[in-house]
Amino acid sequence: MSEPARIAEPPVLLGLEGVEQLYDGKIRILGPMDLDIFEGEFLSLVGPSGCGKSTLLRIVAGVLRPTRGRLRLGGRPFRGVNRHAAMVFQSFALFPWMTVVDNVALGLEARGMGVRERLKKAEKYIDLVGLSGYERAFPKELSRGMKQLVGLARALAVEPELLCMDEPFSALDVLTARTIRDLVLDLWASSEVTTKTILLVTHSIEEAVAMSDRVVVLRANPGRIAETVDLQGLPRPRRSDAPAVRETVDRMYSLLA
Amino acid sequence: MNRRPRRSLPVDLSLITVLAVVVVAVLLGSAHLRPYNAPELDPRPALLPLYLLFSLTRLVVAYIVAVLLALGVGHLAARSTLARRVILPILDVLQSVPILGFFPVAVGFFIGVFHGSALGVEAAAVFLIFTSMFWNLAFGVYESLITLPEELVLAANEFRLRGPLRWNRLILPATIPGLLYNSLVSWANGWYFLIASEIIAVGPARYTLPGLGSYLAQAVTVGRNDQTLLAIGVLLATTVGMHLLLWGPLDTWAERFQLGESGDHPRTPRIARALGRSRIVRWVTGSIVIPLSQQVLSTSGRVLHFVGRNMAWMGAALALVAPVVAVYGGRRLYALFASRPPSAELAAIPGDLALSFARVAFGVVVSAVVSIPVAERVARHPRFRVAALAVIQILASLPATAFFPLIVVLLTWGLGMNAGAILLALTTMFWYVLFNVVGAAAAIPKEMQEAAETLGLQGLRYLRRIFVPAVLPGLVTGCVTAWGAGWNAMILCEYIEAGGRTHSVRGVGATLDRATYLTGDMQVVAASLGVMVLLIITVNQFFWEPLYRYAADRYKMGV
Repeated sequence: MSEPARIAEPPVLLGLEGVEQLYDGKIRILGPMDLDIFEGEFLSLVGPSGCGKSTLLRIVAGVLRPTRGRLRLGGRPFRGVNRHAAMVFQSFALFPWMTVVDNVALGLEARGMGVRERLKKAEKYIDLVGLSGYERAFPKELSRGMKQLVGLARALAVEPELLCMDEPFSALDVLTARTIRDLVLDLWASSEVTTKTILLVTHSIEEAVAMSDRVVVLRANPGRIAETVDLQGLPRPRRSDAPAVRETVDRMYSLLA
Repeated sequence: MNRRPRRSLPVDLSLITVLAVVVVAVLLGSAHLRPYNAPELDPRPALLPLYLLFSLTRLVVAYIVAVLLALGVGHLAARSTLARRVILPILDVLQSVPILGFFPVAVGFFIGVFHGSALGVEAAAVFLIFTSMFWNLAFGVYESLITLPEELVLAANEFRLRGPLRWNRLILPATIPGLLYNSLVSWANGWYFLIASEIIAVGPARYTLPGLGSYLAQAVTVGRNDQTLLAIGVLLATTVGMHLLLWGPLDTWAERFQLGESGDHPRTPRIARALGRSRIVRWVTGSIVIPLSQQVLSTSGRVLHFVGRNMAWMGAALALVAPVVAVYGGRRLYALFASRPPSAELAAIPGDLALSFARVAFGVVVSAVVSIPVAERVARHPRFRVAALAVIQILASLPATAFFPLIVVLLTWGLGMNAGAILLALTTMFWYVLFNVVGAAAAIPKEMQEAAETLGLQGLRYLRRIFVPAVLPGLVTGCVTAWGAGWNAMILCEYIEAGGRTHSVRGVGATLDRATYLTGDMQVVAASLGVMVLLIITVNQFFWEPLYRYAADRYKMGV
């Protein structure tokens, strides 16, 4: 793993040690691997199908228990659902019988927040993603892009330390995806949102290069880290036609070849 | 197209053997009935395999007829709006008629037509079993066909798929998953009501056929617990055997007909894999079950195509016959009530009905409430789910009669018969609800589950906000089915004969039972059946239907 030396390395928010995932006790899907997620960074996982990037994300979020290995949160080992992380899904995973505001407030409700308080907070995040006015709408009345915005608001509303996104733009058309990508970056930089660490799983190298501080490239069969690329040198905002960006993208394609 | 012609000989020989066995069994069974006047059933355990064979034969024949008819009727209803408006309400009404309601038809028509001979009684029994199997198969076919993705129909039209080919390639494959699922339900029903089918009584006439059902009934009535357990054991072994050798392989074969993505792919349970290593099982699956199914499929295609082409004529014939039957039935009914003063018991019927209604409603509520946490547990472990579903289906086949001795024991411990009747009814009602809820839970998209988890939803809040809403359409369907089954069960459960004594509680099921089997009072039979069916239909129309529409509209998951 080649990384340029940093002057002041941020603390590790979440660390994976020796994590492996086996199917049926026999077929190796992932690992063993070590990975550190630093506080405040935008980290992307890219790789071909079957490299286990979505599996890895789920292990980080705590909805999947690794066959072997340990996870550390803030230095201390943890198990089970990660209460400091929230997820955004490729299929949006909104609950169709609840309105937008109820969907967004759900995580707060689970944490025991009172009705008035959580509705107010939910409305704040609905406003932040630009869906003000749609609080009482039902998911089936929304476009796909809007559904994902609700998913984003729902995840941000619980003010997690880590935001996990599983191919969140794959189900969207190119234009909507671009708009929401920019929104995510804006929110990440803004002071209104406390979530400062983001883990993004994507199959698009261009997307990873456009958004991340660091990209972990995974290889399939079994899933392993092939390479970690530091992109902090690339200035933001990153335009897809900027030569540095194009060069980085090409370099990473060749890594996967 | 002749692929592997060498394989056909074993299949052909097997088919012929099976057919021969069936014919022999029927003839043997008929021999037992001459001379016929309610003979005593020989209780020797050694005869059990023979009785099982008789019962199985009746079940199989009824099932085959039910499937073929369901395909014809369901397809007709799906294809033509006019037919739909006629057929569906009729099916709805007839589905609500308890099996005892068909006794007069069974006796009057089948036994009458065959002049009281043995074959007539067998036909009557097969008919009764048919009535417990047919309705949900027909609805299943109808539903499969109206939910056929439009693209498939368009493609079929584009390729000018007509006639038997259209049946084989488009229609029948679409109905297979629904048919399979409903077949399990139908068979459970068939076993459950086997007893009622093998002991037929109308007025003074009483017909008993040798079979597993009548054996079990007799054992329970005289209180021979050893014989009871033996019969139950045979029944369980048969249903388990059918699951392993028939439904399991068919399920796997039918997976290719699944339209659309299924929610979760459970692993094959260990026992199924172990059986898969058995040469016998593989041979049965590969050489009998699958080729037979394919053959039945293509033959049915030809038959149904023929029916379809002559549909207009058949429809006309039906349109002529139906009013005649209705008028005849109406006149008989009128004569029944006009010929003598109304029975004293008639006045008690509304009260009986109310009591039974309370019991069935309570049973539905209890089933719903208990099945939710159970289904949630089962849904969490996909590997366990396949086995659990099989167990549920097998247990659902156990007739209420099998539980009579247990209930009697509880009665001696102070349990009231009211509670006893509800418990007995639950032995069938609960499984329907559980089965449907588990199925709905399995269909919850994985990402939705994960979203609930990461948001921190658990326990009661998870059930209330996520699980119950997610399974609500399935829950309602299960409750509707349980509701119908509960009424049918009340007939068996409100009046029981066990260990030489009778236990009963006031209710319309008991009234119907007594009138059918004891007094032979046709006025009471007609009246109680009539009000029961009326109540069921009314509640279906004004409660269950709107509830299901609401649930499907608001809670259906269509991304």
